[in-house]
Amino acid sequence: MEQLKRGDESSFKTIVAQWKNMVYNTVLGIVQNETEAEDLTQDVFIKVFENISSFKGESKFSTWLYRIATTTALDHLRSRKRKKRFGFVQSIFGHDQEKKEQLPDFHHPGVKLDNKERATVLFKAISSLPENQKAAYTLHKLEGLSYREISEVLHTTVPAVESLMSRANANLRKKLEDYYTKHYR
Amino acid sequence: MTTGKNITQEVEKTLDSLDGIQRAEANPFLFTRIKAKMQRQQDNVWEKVFSFITRPAIAFAVVLLVMGINMLAVWGSGANENLATDTGSANVSEIANEYNLIASAENYDYENFNNE
Repeated sequence: MEQLKRGDESSFKTIVAQWKNMVYNTVLGIVQNETEAEDLTQDVFIKVFENISSFKGESKFSTWLYRIATTTALDHLRSRKRKKRFGFVQSIFGHDQEKKEQLPDFHHPGVKLDNKERATVLFKAISSLPENQKAAYTLHKLEGLSYREISEVLHTTVPAVESLMSRANANLRKKLEDYYTKHYR
Repeated sequence: MTTGKNITQEVEKTLDSLDGIQRAEANPFLFTRIKAKMQRQQDNVWEKVFSFITRPAIAFAVVLLVMGINMLAVWGSGANENLATDTGSANVSEIANEYNLIASAENYDYENFNNE
């Protein structure tokens, strides 16, 4: 860590090698796009390199890294939403140069073969969750973090995380019920 | 026709579909790409500066600052203008008196003008 703070390249390389899958998986779960996730993973590690001096060791390094990954991914989603809104406003004024892009279905490469179709439906439902619920659900389901660990990442309390997960599950259930009611009638 | 019970079962199965999920793996050449990106960012310092100052919060703060400085300048110059006018007009009067430049009816001896 001290070598990394001094800007040592080989230490940085080691950090990247050790944590890249964790960061990529977290970001991928939130943004649900492999190209964007790869780009954002690079951004996360650049932020780590540039801000390592601010890591005081009060929390675990993994907690700090999860925090950067989560906020980077959520910031990107906000940016994506802003661009979409701007494009909509442009289309009102007749500057509709690009067709409205609908995000393709997301297939997570780590899902078991039997569950691929169902997982795609679930990820679509996850993408419509509010930010905090999305972050908590992704960290729990995709990274296997406990509620305590999630509370440290999100700078909140364990009861708050329990509440987020409860609401996330309720919202997902409602969306999936609507989906299956519509598709199986 | 799918009953309510079946829909509930479908929902539960879908909610469990992420069980046993494996981590997605990052690009094996990630470090090389990170280095290249850092190099590009270093080369584009102005891009960074521009992207920082065009952030809405920063741009708004700058506008407020400029307006504040403007207002201070206007208020300040308003106070100074009065002072300058008083001082200036005093100076002009002094000079005019010295050179008898001030036109005044008292200075003109109309009856004896042509005789001087």
